[in-house]
Amino acid sequence: MTNSNKTALSRTSWSRRSLLALSGAALGSGAVSGFPTIWAQNIKDVTLRQIGTGVSGLNPIAEQVKKDLGFNLQLTVSDTDAVAQRAATQARSFDIADIEYFSIKKVYPTGAVQPIDTGRIKLMDKIVPIFTTGRLTPDGQMGQGTSPFSVGFVNSKGAKGFAGQRTELMTLLPTIYNADTLGIRPDLVGRPIARWKDLLDPAFKGRAAILNIPGIGIMDAAMVAESAGIVKYGDKGNMTRAEIDKTIAFLIDAKRSGQFRAFWKTFDESVNLMASGEVVIQSMWSPAVAAVRSRGIACTYQPLTEGYRAWGSGLGIMRHVSGLQLDAAYEYLNWYLSGWVGAFLNRQGYYSAVLETAQQNMSENEWGYWMEGKPATASIMSPDGREMEKAGAVRDGGSFTERMGKVVCWNSVMNEDRYMVQKWNEFIAA
Amino acid sequence: MRPDVELIKVTKRYGTTAAVDAISLEIPSGSYCCLLGPSGCGKTSTLRMIAGHESISDGDILLAGRNVTELAPAERGTAMMFQSYALFPHLTALENIAFGLRMRGVGKAERLARASEYLRLVQLEAMAERLPAQLSGGQQQRVALARALITRPKVLLLDEPLSALDPFLRTRMREELKRLQRELGITFIHVTHGQEEAMALSDLAVVMDHGRIAQAAPPRHIFERPASAFVARFIGGHNVLDLPEGRFAIRTDRTTLSPPPGGARLSGRVTAVEYQGTAVRVVVQAANGQSAEALLPDHLFHAAPVAPGEAATLGWDTAAAHRLPAPTPA
Amino acid sequence: MSRYLPFLQAAPLFLILAVFLLVPMAMLVVVSFYDYDSFSLIPDFVLTNYRDVFSSWVTWQTYLKTVWFAALTWAITLGLGFWLAYFLAFVVRDPGWRMLLFVLTTVPFWTSNLIRMIAWIPFLGRNGILNNALIKAGAIDRPLEFLLFSDFAVILALVHLYTLFMVVPIFNTMMRIDRQLLEAARDAGAGFWQALWFIILPLCKPGIGIGSIFVVVLVMGDFATVRLMSGGQSASVGLMISNQIGLMQYPAAAANAVVLLAMVLLLVGAMLRMIDIRKEL
Repeated sequence: MTNSNKTALSRTSWSRRSLLALSGAALGSGAVSGFPTIWAQNIKDVTLRQIGTGVSGLNPIAEQVKKDLGFNLQLTVSDTDAVAQRAATQARSFDIADIEYFSIKKVYPTGAVQPIDTGRIKLMDKIVPIFTTGRLTPDGQMGQGTSPFSVGFVNSKGAKGFAGQRTELMTLLPTIYNADTLGIRPDLVGRPIARWKDLLDPAFKGRAAILNIPGIGIMDAAMVAESAGIVKYGDKGNMTRAEIDKTIAFLIDAKRSGQFRAFWKTFDESVNLMASGEVVIQSMWSPAVAAVRSRGIACTYQPLTEGYRAWGSGLGIMRHVSGLQLDAAYEYLNWYLSGWVGAFLNRQGYYSAVLETAQQNMSENEWGYWMEGKPATASIMSPDGREMEKAGAVRDGGSFTERMGKVVCWNSVMNEDRYMVQKWNEFIAA
Repeated sequence: MRPDVELIKVTKRYGTTAAVDAISLEIPSGSYCCLLGPSGCGKTSTLRMIAGHESISDGDILLAGRNVTELAPAERGTAMMFQSYALFPHLTALENIAFGLRMRGVGKAERLARASEYLRLVQLEAMAERLPAQLSGGQQQRVALARALITRPKVLLLDEPLSALDPFLRTRMREELKRLQRELGITFIHVTHGQEEAMALSDLAVVMDHGRIAQAAPPRHIFERPASAFVARFIGGHNVLDLPEGRFAIRTDRTTLSPPPGGARLSGRVTAVEYQGTAVRVVVQAANGQSAEALLPDHLFHAAPVAPGEAATLGWDTAAAHRLPAPTPA
Repeated sequence: MSRYLPFLQAAPLFLILAVFLLVPMAMLVVVSFYDYDSFSLIPDFVLTNYRDVFSSWVTWQTYLKTVWFAALTWAITLGLGFWLAYFLAFVVRDPGWRMLLFVLTTVPFWTSNLIRMIAWIPFLGRNGILNNALIKAGAIDRPLEFLLFSDFAVILALVHLYTLFMVVPIFNTMMRIDRQLLEAARDAGAGFWQALWFIILPLCKPGIGIGSIFVVVLVMGDFATVRLMSGGQSASVGLMISNQIGLMQYPAAAANAVVLLAMVLLLVGAMLRMIDIRKEL
């Protein structure tokens, strides 16, 4: 981060922290004393314990928190399911939960998380409207499934259900989201891929894969089934039993005919499957595509006619957090939107909740490549300094609006969740 | 009579060292033969080569005139009783005894009936269903003996069979072995390091030293005419003395404290007196450093007792002195 | 006081077992009767979790598959483990060599389970070392697909993982067999196979029993190997439980865990009946 960037940041409304840091420095010289400095000293002892996935549970973020805010962020990283599980069952072991919106649908009603007072979020109105109105543009589509908006707000502190509209109380502060599609090996598929149903093309028999996390896998399966005209869904994100039965039946057929090489569950597995050539077309996550490409192996995050399946996550504050620690938590939430993290995440192919501040922390080339779908004017570097793309490269799927505008469904928890999981297990065991 | 066992220049080498060095030996049919010697003399290796549990580096072994050098143990007509008995711990006494018949394909009823006979032979009928761990050491040994005998070997090989028993049991077992051998009329080859055991049992005693046979003869012959200083010392009861006339072995019980007229003598000081019940052992060291002892009947000793430190003269009849080969110059 | 001393001395161990074994087990059983929805556990006494286990063909199939994995892995590790142990105990005579070779059998455990399994991919994969070598040697003209992400791969990895658990106890019992017993058997006319069948095998039973318990229990509870090596295409009870835990369906997972536990206990009980393990301890 350059100095000029930092000044630009200070101009935004979160600058109190910098002032405190300055006064702390002044105390060192013995010049000033009084309330703010005592407060500043106290906050140094605060530690926020955060549980989240590897997507955003990254050490550079914790280091930056220490640098900018002065307190400690202690990260625990686990997989999607485990994060939700531990947030719900071990709530007192953590202060901040970095979890996905479809998980908050399960976790919030357990009472593990306290609602966030939007009045204390300075950039509330700068947050991408997907999270605050449910639509990217006023005339955009909402997307089926557990959209962040549908589980993003509650009516009162004690409410177990979700508001379904914007209120003063948020369940999660949105931080990171993306549009997912199929990853392909352009060198091995041998033809253009344009539809979700191409996953079932007999040409790829024994060389296709989908992910085995039921809540996400069922959505990919639904995209495929709908694309192939096998099932017509009322709401893919909230299927009826009949729809679930039909979806699973078609998956079992495909499995029995040997279409699938594997079902993966972790990021690394998906990278290995693709990089080794065991699989040429599969469900994939954006950074996994980047990981395959960084090995010098061609891999495309293929935009498809039917659109994307999206996901999003955010930061929740555990119910037990209060007092100085709660102040620190709000400080942290505000900082998260203030630009540095946004740029950091955008550079990995994700999207941040407040775009404006992130842009201030990115170069024109980076912003153009990642967000506007423009050809890179110079090498695109990863946050850890490796070259990800050469000059001239264009992001798969194009700009932010092209990609997020084509989201047709979100990762979900259905009302028939229990039934779906049972049927999904039948598919895996078949 | 044709010998039962014949060893012809049998050699066992481990690397470059010969544990058994070209020994030749004939063991007459139906005899009790003891292989005797200090540990490491090659007696056990010899036994194991006869049994077929050790390969033969050189030479031949004939059993009843048949060359068995290359045959498997069970094809030789031998049976072996192991030092630790080697009873199968998971089988009962009866099953242990029947094992050899089982391997030969004898039906269950028949082999158990025959095993019972052998159990009777060693007087253990009541122990048929016991496991080895439930038997005493002596009982285990009898089972091992019965197991070895049931295949009707022509030669029974026994590897230090009595060494694990207490002295009292050892004497009884010794008698029993001898009785069995006489009744069965087969050849026993018995490895031991105890000269007393060898004397008590053997028709033919074979004293071994450094992989060679030092002397093979009936025990009385060996005791009366030891072939070398080693043999004389090993079987005990002898003074080995270097005298001006040469080297001699003189039996300690023929040595007295009252030298007979005209006999040889050795003067010196008494260094030890040991009371042994029926006899008293008196050790005398001569001025030239040679030491000899006399085993005196107790009444003779008590008639003229001596004490350590006193001067004494040992003497013996020249006829009792057995000339030994001169010591080989080192 | 002295009368209570033995109880007092046993108390720490009892407490540890109670807190870390008995209480969790009791909770497992209790939770298996709870009801649940997507969001939370509902303390109750319902049989639905067990009904789900027993009434669904998929759970039956999963249990059968798990038993099948366990049986096959057991048979192969027993065969392999017995001969490896035999080789180490009876064929290798030099104690130094024996030690070295024994340590070599533990090589598979020098890396983490996960890395070991991931390492199979470049070896067994479509473009893996084995397929390439076979094609180059002219043995096949198209890559063998069944090598990876198949039941074959699962069994292979399980055997690779758990053979050691069979080798060690069998080797241990074999080393305790008095070598004179084998000479005695030979002396009595037993050939190689007879000595093996009548002497070595019966005397190795405790080792075989312990190894079998290790292997069967480990395979019955496995989920990582089955998932990774089958490419997620095969199920095992462990995997099913792990999925249910992942989805916060704790009562269902608990019910399956109770059934699996009962099954494993029955199997171990049957094995203990056949083999007196106390001989070994």
